[in-house]
Amino acid sequence: MATTCEAIQELLTEHLGETERLSDEERRHVELCPQCCEVAAGESALGLIFARVLPPADPTVEGRVRSAMKTARRRRRVLALLPVAASLLVALLGAVMLGGLPGGSLLALLPVWSSQGWVSLAASMADWNAVFTTAAGATTALLSPGVLAAAILVSLAGIGVIAIAARRWRQVSPWRDIG
Amino acid sequence: MSFEKASDEQLVRFALDGDEDAFTTLVRRYQRRLTAFLSQLVGDVELARELSQEAFIRAWSALERFDPKYRFSTWLFRIGHNLGIDHLRRRRLKTVALHRTDREGDEVELVVEDTTKDPLGHFENTELAGSLKGAIEELTAEYRELVLLRHFGCLSYQEIAEFKQMPLGTVKNKLFRAHTVLRKALAAFL
Ligand SMILES: [Zn+2]
Repeated sequence: MATTCEAIQELLTEHLGETERLSDEERRHVELCPQCCEVAAGESALGLIFARVLPPADPTVEGRVRSAMKTARRRRRVLALLPVAASLLVALLGAVMLGGLPGGSLLALLPVWSSQGWVSLAASMADWNAVFTTAAGATTALLSPGVLAAAILVSLAGIGVIAIAARRWRQVSPWRDIG
Repeated sequence: MSFEKASDEQLVRFALDGDEDAFTTLVRRYQRRLTAFLSQLVGDVELARELSQEAFIRAWSALERFDPKYRFSTWLFRIGHNLGIDHLRRRRLKTVALHRTDREGDEVELVVEDTTKDPLGHFENTELAGSLKGAIEELTAEYRELVLLRHFGCLSYQEIAEFKQMPLGTVKNKLFRAHTVLRKALAAFL
């Protein structure tokens, strides 16, 4: 078979015998070449058979997929929250290793709970500063530099994981469209 | 914008923004084609419907991992194809399957006849359906897969090249050869 014939027959196969899809020159070749003409006719007939192979649509599939989509979305949200919870634990562990969290006074320091508003906020900031300075001093005195460095690393890793998890969670959160 | 007229890429973007209607449009667009392709792969149209449903759910669940440099169609068909192959493997392990060897030595699974599950059961001309089924089964595994992707999955040559990670010219040539075999086998109906 000549190269031209093979190339044209490949095209006829691709377009299922539709000679309108060929160039003028190719179409003329098909008209004059018995082999290519036979392939064109055969491909048209094959095309008619293949046009019937799709099964009828099943209308129930769409509904079933839709309800599964909702379940999958809920599951994703829960799964996406797991690393957030895990990373909070890691960060908490790092903070504890660094000298402990301020205990019962924590709530009292929050300006939300105070009737004194901004004054209270300023005071609490000062308190926090004192807490951290004392905690840092005590930690440096008690812990070896190696342990301290490890604790800082764990804390940083925790913060990093929180940031990544928060981004992931935002992608599947129901409020992602807002803003 | 009407979802029906939107491109796959646009629909994927809307679906990524949480629009379930956009993804449902993709389901409607590909459901019959994916079912037709899978029904030939597993030899059972009911099972193919279940597998295509599962493929859509997996696609939805993994949509964030979809790489937009590929086409949605090829990605979806790959998910469906993998589900079909996994199913065939499990079935081979569970049951004593009937096999025969085709001309090139590839194993072909013979599916027990059941007209309600027959992928071509909707054909009015049962003789033609039987001959088409036989002709496709006679093809080598590679040609058969290309024919299924092209005529049952209705994928373009470009999409098939992407799906098979094969040069476009090779797809054209192999499909031409596969069609030559099919034309001969179905000569009585052409
Ligand atoms: Zn010719």
